[in-house]
Amino acid sequence: MKIQRHSAVFGLVAAGALLLSACGSDQNSAQGGASAGATSSVDVTCGGKQNLNAEGSSAQKTAIDTFVQVYQQRCAGQNVAYNPSGSGSGVKNFTGGQVDFGGSDSPLSAEKGEVAAAAERCEGNPAWNLPLVFGPVAISYKLEGVTDLTLTGELAAKIFNGGVKKWNDEAVKAANPSASLPDKDITVVYRSDESGTTDNFQKYLTAASNGAWTQEAGKAFKGGVGEGKEKSAGVAQAVAGVDGAVTYVEWSFAQDNNLSVAKIDNGSGAVELTPETVGKAIDGAKIKGEGNDLVLDLDSIYGSTEAGVYPLVLATYEIVCSKGYDAETAQAVKAFLTVAATDGQAGLTDAGYAPLPKAFQEKLLTAVKAIA
Amino acid sequence: MTTDTADLTRLATPPTFQSVSGARKFKNGLATAAVWGAFLVAIVPLVWVLFIVVQRGLPIVVNADWWQKSLNGLLSRQQGGGVYHAIYGTLVQGLVCAVISVPIGLMVGVYLVEYGGRSRLAKATTFMVDILTGVPSIVAALFVYSLWITTFGFGRSGFAVALALVLLMVPVIVRTTEEMLKIVPDELREASYALGIPKWKTIVKIVIPTALSGILTGIMLALARVMGETAPVLVLAAYAPYINYNLFDGPMASLPLLMTTERSNSTAAGFDRIWGAAITLVIIITLFNLLATVVSRVLAPKTK
Repeated sequence: MKIQRHSAVFGLVAAGALLLSACGSDQNSAQGGASAGATSSVDVTCGGKQNLNAEGSSAQKTAIDTFVQVYQQRCAGQNVAYNPSGSGSGVKNFTGGQVDFGGSDSPLSAEKGEVAAAAERCEGNPAWNLPLVFGPVAISYKLEGVTDLTLTGELAAKIFNGGVKKWNDEAVKAANPSASLPDKDITVVYRSDESGTTDNFQKYLTAASNGAWTQEAGKAFKGGVGEGKEKSAGVAQAVAGVDGAVTYVEWSFAQDNNLSVAKIDNGSGAVELTPETVGKAIDGAKIKGEGNDLVLDLDSIYGSTEAGVYPLVLATYEIVCSKGYDAETAQAVKAFLTVAATDGQAGLTDAGYAPLPKAFQEKLLTAVKAIA
Repeated sequence: MTTDTADLTRLATPPTFQSVSGARKFKNGLATAAVWGAFLVAIVPLVWVLFIVVQRGLPIVVNADWWQKSLNGLLSRQQGGGVYHAIYGTLVQGLVCAVISVPIGLMVGVYLVEYGGRSRLAKATTFMVDILTGVPSIVAALFVYSLWITTFGFGRSGFAVALALVLLMVPVIVRTTEEMLKIVPDELREASYALGIPKWKTIVKIVIPTALSGILTGIMLALARVMGETAPVLVLAAYAPYINYNLFDGPMASLPLLMTTERSNSTAAGFDRIWGAAITLVIIITLFNLLATVVSRVLAPKTK
C-alpha cells in the first residue's frame, strides 16, 4: 500500500518535470528592434559554437543586445550571452578562460599583467583590443525650466570638482546668456563603483579643461563632491529624481530616463550630442596599437577644437584572441563580430550609440578576418 | 432536632481575590497591547511585500509567453518574452542539488541516531554539521569556485551552482532527519528486534517509514530555501538570455540571477522582468511548500 503511494508522489514529480522540459521556446518575435538582413552587404559564415559566452563592460550592453538580435536574424539558432558585470570582471573572466570574448572600456593593461595573462589564455598568442562600440557620454542634468544648456570643458571640470556650486553662478551664466537659470544648488552625482566611464570622463576633463581639473583620471571619481550611485542605471535614476542634479552617463541611459543633455563648447561653438557630431569625433581618433590590435588614442579627440565635434566619447573594446580558439569558437566569434561591425551598426543610433565610420569599419573587418 | 446542613455552594472561606486590582488590569492591558503590537509589526512588512510583489508582478505573469519563452533576442527595452530559461535553471539546479544532498543527509542522520550514539565520530560529525549550518551562502559559493573552477579547471556552469547549494542543503537535511528519527519511539525498534529482524532491516522498514513524512517535509523546505539563494548563482554561473538545457556547460539563467542582471536595466521592460521574476519565484516556492504539506499528510503514519 505504502509503496504505491510513494510511487504516486514520485510519478507526479516526474510528470511535472517532463511537462516542463517539453514546452520551452527561444523564439521571440522582436518588435521595433533593429532591422537588417534585407540590405546586408557582407558575407557571414554562420555556424560554429552555438552558445557564445561573453562578459564585461556595462556601457556596451545595449549595443551588444542589438548586435545579438541582428546576429540571430543572420544566423538562426546561434546565441550569445553577454553579462554586463563590468570591465574589470570582463577582463578577468576572459584571461581566466571563462568567456569567449571580453568587453572592456579600457584596453588590456601591460602594467597590470593583463596582456601577459591574456596571451596565456590564448595559448601563447596575443589578444587584440577591437573598439567595436562607440558611446557618447552625456553630461546629463535635470533642472526645471532649463532644457538647453551649454558647458565648456573648463566649466564642466569646475562643476564636477566643486568650483561652481550654484546653477546661477556667473560662469554658467556666461556660457548660457539666454537661459533663465534658477538659484539652485548643483547636485553632482557620480559613479561609486569603478568604471571605465568615470575614467574616460576624467581623461576628457584633464585634456579639455585648461587646467581647471587638477585631479587626475582613473576608474574612481576624484572630484570630491556630490553623491555616489552604483552603475550607470543608478546614477541616471538618481538624477531623474532630483531637481538640480547633474551627472555623466552613457547616452542610452540618459535617453531611457528622459534626462536633458548638455551641449559641449570646445572653443568652436556649442555642439549638440547627435550621431553625426559623434561620428565626426570618431573619425579623428588615432590608433596607437600595432597591426590588428586597434587600441585608440582618445586624447586627440578630447582635446579637439574642431567645429562640430562632440568630444566626450567612450570607446569600448571587445577583447579577443588573435589565435588560440578552437575551430568552432573561432568561427562563431568571427561571425558575430562581422555581423556586429556591419549589419549590426544600423540599429545603434536608436540605442544611444554612434555607428562606426566607414574607414574604421574596414580596419575592424580586416582584424576580425585575421582571427584564427 | 435540626441539623445544620452545610451550604455546599458557599465557600468555607471567602475567595482571596475578590476583584481584580487596577494595577493588574493595567498590566494585562499593557501586555495585550504589546503582543498585538508585536504581531502587527511582524505582519505589516510581510503583507506589504506580498502586496507589492503581487501588484507589480501579477499583470506580467498572467501571460502564457511568460512561462513558455526565454528572453532570447530581445533588447533590454523591448517588452515580451518570458522566463522559461530561468525557471528551468532554478528547478534543475535545485533538483540536482537535492539528488546529491538527500542521500548524504539522510544517511548521516541515520548514522547519528541509530549507530553513532555517543562515539567520538558521531560527536565530530555533529560538530561539523553545526559549523556547516552557519556557513554563509557566499562562502559556500567561493569555496566551490576555488575548488571546482580554479583548482580543477572546470568552467562556470549550473552544476557548480548545484554543488554550492549541496553545501547549504546537507546540514538542513541532516538536522531534520536527526530530529525526526529521534521521535520514533524505541518500542517500535524493540518490537522489531524481538521478532528477530536485523538492525538494517528495522531501520529501512520500520524507523524510516515512520519518520518519512517529517523527513520529506524537511527536504521540501530545504529545497525551497536553496532555490532562492542568490550568492551561488552570482559567483558560479553566468547569465544567459536563452534556454540552456546543459547543466554542465555554458551560462545558465536562474530566477535570482535574472533579477540581479535586470537590475542594471533601467527601462520599463527591465522593471517588469524583475517583478515578474520575483512573483514567479514566490509562486514556485509556495508550490513546493504546499507539496511538502500534501506529501506529509499523505505519508503520515496511520494512527488507527
